[in-house]
Amino acid sequence: MISESRIGVYFCRRSSSPAGQADLAELSRYAAAFPHVTDVKDFGELPHLDPEALTREFTKLRLTTVVIAGDSPGFFKPAFARALAEADGDPERVRLASFREHGALYGNITERAKAVLCCAIYGVPYGLATVPDTTPVHPDTLVVGGGIAGMQAALEIADGGMKVYLVEREPTIGGHMAMFDKTFPTLDCAACILTPKMVSVGQHEMIELMTWSEVEKVSGTPGAYRVQVRRKARYVDADACVACHACMEVCPIRVDSEFDSGITTRKAIYIPFPQAVPNSYILDAANCTYVQSERQKCGACLKRCAKDCIHFDDVDQVIELEVGNIILATGYDVFDATRIERYGYGHLPNVLTALEFERLTNASGPTGGNIVMKTKKLNKRTKQEEWVFDPEGPRPESIAIIHCVGSRDANYNPYCSRVCCMYSLKFAHLVKEKLPNAKCYEYYIDMRAFGKGYEDFFERIKDEGVFVVRGRSAKVTEKDGGLLLRGEDILSDKVMEFPVDMVLLAVGLEPAPGTGELASVLGIPRDEDGWFQELDYNTDPTGTERGGVYVAGVCQGPKDIPDTVAQASAVAARVLRSIVSHRGQDSRSSLPLAQIESRARRLAGV
Amino acid sequence: MAVLANPRLVSELEHYGAQDVVKCYHCGNCTAACPFSREPFIFPRKSMRFLQMGLEDKLRGNLEPWLCYYCGECSEQCPREAEPGETMMAMRRWLTGQYDFTGISKLFYRSWKVELFAILLVALLTGIGFFLYGSSRGDIGIYDGPGAFLPSSMVHWFDWGMAAVLAGLLLVNCVRMWWFTTGRDRTLHIPLSSYVQKAWLLPVHFFTQKRYRECNRKRPWLIHLVLMLSYVTMLVLIMFFLHAMQSGPAIRWTAHVFGYAATIGLLGTVAFALRGRVRSVETHYRHSHETDWMFLIMLAYVALTGIVQHVLHRAGNAPAANVVYLAHLMGVVPMLVLEVPFSKWAHMAYRPLAMYFAEVQTEAITAREKDRAAIRAAGSQPA
Repeated sequence: MISESRIGVYFCRRSSSPAGQADLAELSRYAAAFPHVTDVKDFGELPHLDPEALTREFTKLRLTTVVIAGDSPGFFKPAFARALAEADGDPERVRLASFREHGALYGNITERAKAVLCCAIYGVPYGLATVPDTTPVHPDTLVVGGGIAGMQAALEIADGGMKVYLVEREPTIGGHMAMFDKTFPTLDCAACILTPKMVSVGQHEMIELMTWSEVEKVSGTPGAYRVQVRRKARYVDADACVACHACMEVCPIRVDSEFDSGITTRKAIYIPFPQAVPNSYILDAANCTYVQSERQKCGACLKRCAKDCIHFDDVDQVIELEVGNIILATGYDVFDATRIERYGYGHLPNVLTALEFERLTNASGPTGGNIVMKTKKLNKRTKQEEWVFDPEGPRPESIAIIHCVGSRDANYNPYCSRVCCMYSLKFAHLVKEKLPNAKCYEYYIDMRAFGKGYEDFFERIKDEGVFVVRGRSAKVTEKDGGLLLRGEDILSDKVMEFPVDMVLLAVGLEPAPGTGELASVLGIPRDEDGWFQELDYNTDPTGTERGGVYVAGVCQGPKDIPDTVAQASAVAARVLRSIVSHRGQDSRSSLPLAQIESRARRLAGV
Repeated sequence: MAVLANPRLVSELEHYGAQDVVKCYHCGNCTAACPFSREPFIFPRKSMRFLQMGLEDKLRGNLEPWLCYYCGECSEQCPREAEPGETMMAMRRWLTGQYDFTGISKLFYRSWKVELFAILLVALLTGIGFFLYGSSRGDIGIYDGPGAFLPSSMVHWFDWGMAAVLAGLLLVNCVRMWWFTTGRDRTLHIPLSSYVQKAWLLPVHFFTQKRYRECNRKRPWLIHLVLMLSYVTMLVLIMFFLHAMQSGPAIRWTAHVFGYAATIGLLGTVAFALRGRVRSVETHYRHSHETDWMFLIMLAYVALTGIVQHVLHRAGNAPAANVVYLAHLMGVVPMLVLEVPFSKWAHMAYRPLAMYFAEVQTEAITAREKDRAAIRAAGSQPA
C-alpha cells in the first residue's frame, strides 16, 4: 500500500532528449512534496550508475519503491532494479515516469511531466488516470490520405454504415502500395490485393472520394470539426472520362512519371496507372503547352477528346465539410538518396532506389517486369544520349543491395525505418526468381526480421543462394563500366571490393512532405523524427493530443503493410465507437493537473 | 589460450581522449571508408570491438592505430557519431603509455597537471644547471668565442649526451613495441632475412611520410611533412653545426639559411596546427587532448625564443641574447627529454616502425595462410 511505502524519485536524462526540457528543479520540488517520497535526486545526463552504491543508498533509506523519471527512463531500469533487489526490496517496484512517451514534448512540458510523475508515484498507469472527458460527436468522418491505411479505415467505417470523406493529394488513391510488385513475406502480388480495395472505395456509396485535393484549414472542437478542403483543378471531368487514352496518344509532352518513380515518362495529360481510382485522366497544367502558351499552341487533346471532358477553364474549389472525427493517414516519402553522395545515386546510372526497383521488377512497369540495366539511347527529339531502361536491355549478372540508406544514421535519420530489411530480402528473392544465375548480395548492419513469418523468409532467402553479408558498404564507385562496392565483411574479417552490375539502395522512410503543415493546421504535435505524435505509445497508439483526431499507418511511425492495416482498422473501431455512442474523446490537454492528481489518488485508493 | 578481458578498458581509454566508443554498433562503414584499411590490417572497427570487449592484451599488440593517419573520413561517415578516428588517436596515446617501460608516459597522458609539473621541473633544473655552469666559467656579457657564457662546445657535448640517453630510452620502448606487436606472436615465423630486406622502409617512411599522402585530403600530409623536415633540419644543424650556428654577430649564410628555412617551416606549421585546434572545425582537429596543446605550445615557444636570441645576438646585445638563450634551453630540454620518449613525440619512431613491422608481418601472414591452405587441401584428400 502506498501509505507504507518509502519512495525514491530519481531523474535520469538521455542525451538524445528533445530540445524542450522539463524544468527538473521544479519537478524535484513537486516530487518531494509527496508524503511518501523519501528521496529525490537528479542523476544528470546519461549517468554511469553504480548498482553497489545505489544498494547502499537504498538500504540506508529503507526504500520500498523507486521511480525513475525522464525521457525513456526504462533505459536505466536494470541498474535500479538490481540495486533495489540487493537492498531487500521488490525489484518489481521500480516504476517509470516516462515524460516524452506520455506526451511531455511540446507546449506545457513541465505541467505534463508533473502529471506523469504523480501517476508514477501513486503507481497508477498514466493512461488510466488521464482518460479524457467525452464530447458529442458528428457522425461523419474525414480521412486524410488514400493509401492502404486511409482506404482500410474508410472502408471499415463506411461498411459500418457511416459517411466518410476521403481526401487524397494525388490524382489517384492507392498510395505507395500501388507501386509495389510483391508484399513480404507472403510474396502476394500487391496490386492484386490493393486494386479490389481501391475499386470498393471508389464505388462505395458511403465514401465521398476527393482526389487531387488537400486539407487547408481545420476549425472547431473535438466531435464538431469544420474542415476546408481545396479541390485542385483537374481540367478533366473525372465522372465523364472513360480513360479511352485518346488524349494521351496525341499529347506531345513527356515528363518523368511519378508513379514509376521517374524511371520512365508520362504525357502531360495522363492517368497515373491503368487501375487508377477514379479511373480518369488528369492534366498536368505546369507541363501542358496549351495552358502555358495561354491557349495559343497545341490543344491536340482538346480536339481529340470525343466526350468533351477536358475543360481548360477548370479552377480550384474550396469545399467546406463538417465532420466529427479526423483520421490522418498521410504516409511517408522515401529518403532522398542523392544526399549520400558516396553511394553515387543520381550520377551512376545503375544505382537505383528501392521504389525505382519496385517499378522495374513490376510486371506492369516500364520493362514488363524484366530486371535490366540502364542503357544509353539517343533521344530523337532532344538529340541527346540518355540512360533508359530498355525491356530488351542487358540483364545484370550481379546485384548488391545496401541496407540502412539514410536510416539508423546520426547524420541523416537516427531511427530504424523498419521495412527496409524485409523489402530488401524480397528484392533478393525477386532477383533470384527472375535471374536465377545472377549473384545477389545483401549488405546489412543488423537484420531486422521482426514480424510473423519474417525470420522464416530470411532463412528462405539465404537458402536461395543470396549472399547475406554483415557490414554496411561505404562506397559505390565506377570501374570498367561496372560498379565497385567497398565494404567490410565483418563475420569473415575481410575488406571486400565487389564488382557488381547494379546497386539497390534500401532507402528509409521519412514523413511525407506537408506533414508539418498538417500538424500545425490540426494543432497536434510531431515527435522528434517528424512523425505525428501518438497519444500514448503503449495504450493509445492511434489517438493524438487532440480529441477526435487519429493517426493510422506510417504517418505515426514507420511500419509495414500488416501493421498499417491493423492500425487502420483499430482507428476505424474507435471512430465507430464514438459515432455509435454519440460521445467522442475530448483532448487530453483539456484535463487540468489537479484533476489528474485527484483521479490518481482515487485509483491508488488513497 | 586464456583471454583476459578488462571491463574498465573503455573508461581507461577515456583518459587518453577516447569518446563515445560504446556507441559503435559495428556496421563496418568506417573500415570500408578508410583508405588504408587493407588485409591483413583492417581497421578501425575491429579495434573498436577489441576496446568494447576489453581485450587489453590484443590491443597492446595492435599495430593498426599507427597505420591510421586520422584523415577523419571514418568519423565523418560514422552513423553513430562514435568517433572511430579519435578513438584511434586515443589508442596511439594509450599504446605510447604501454610501450614505455618507465610508466612515466601513462602518468603524463592521464594527468596534464603531472606533465606540466614535470616540464616546469625539468625547465627549472636546466635553467639552474646552465646558469651555474655559465656563471662559474664565463661572462654573461659574452655570447660567443672565448669566455662565452654558454659556449657552443659545452652545449654541443650536452646535446650529444642527452641524445644518447633519449635514444636509449626510445630504443628500449621500440623493442617493447616489437615484442608486443610482432615478437611474441608464436604463430608468425618471421625470418631474419625478411627484417633485413624490408629495413629500407624505415627511412623511406620516416623522411617521406608517403603513406600519409594516401589520405583523401593532401594538405595535412604536406603540413606534417614540412613540420617534420623543418625539425630534422634543425636537429642536424644543432647536432653537427652548432658552432657555426652560434658564431656571429655576422650572419654565416651557408649555415644560417637552413636555420631560417627550418624556423619558417616550424613556425608556419605550428601556427597552422594551433589555429586548426582552436577553430576545431576539421575532423582531425575537433578533439584536442591536453598533450596536443602542450606539444604545440612548447614547439612555438622554442621556435620563438630561438629567433629572439638569434636576433639579439646579431644586434650585438650579448647579455640579453644569453638570457634568452637560457630561456630557449629551458624550453628545448624539457621538450626533448619529456616529449620524445614519453609523450606525443614518440610517434616519430613508432609510426615508421609500425609500417615496417606491418610489412614484415604481412609477408609472414601470407606465408602462414598458404601453409594452412595447403594443410586443409591435404586433409580433404582421400587417404
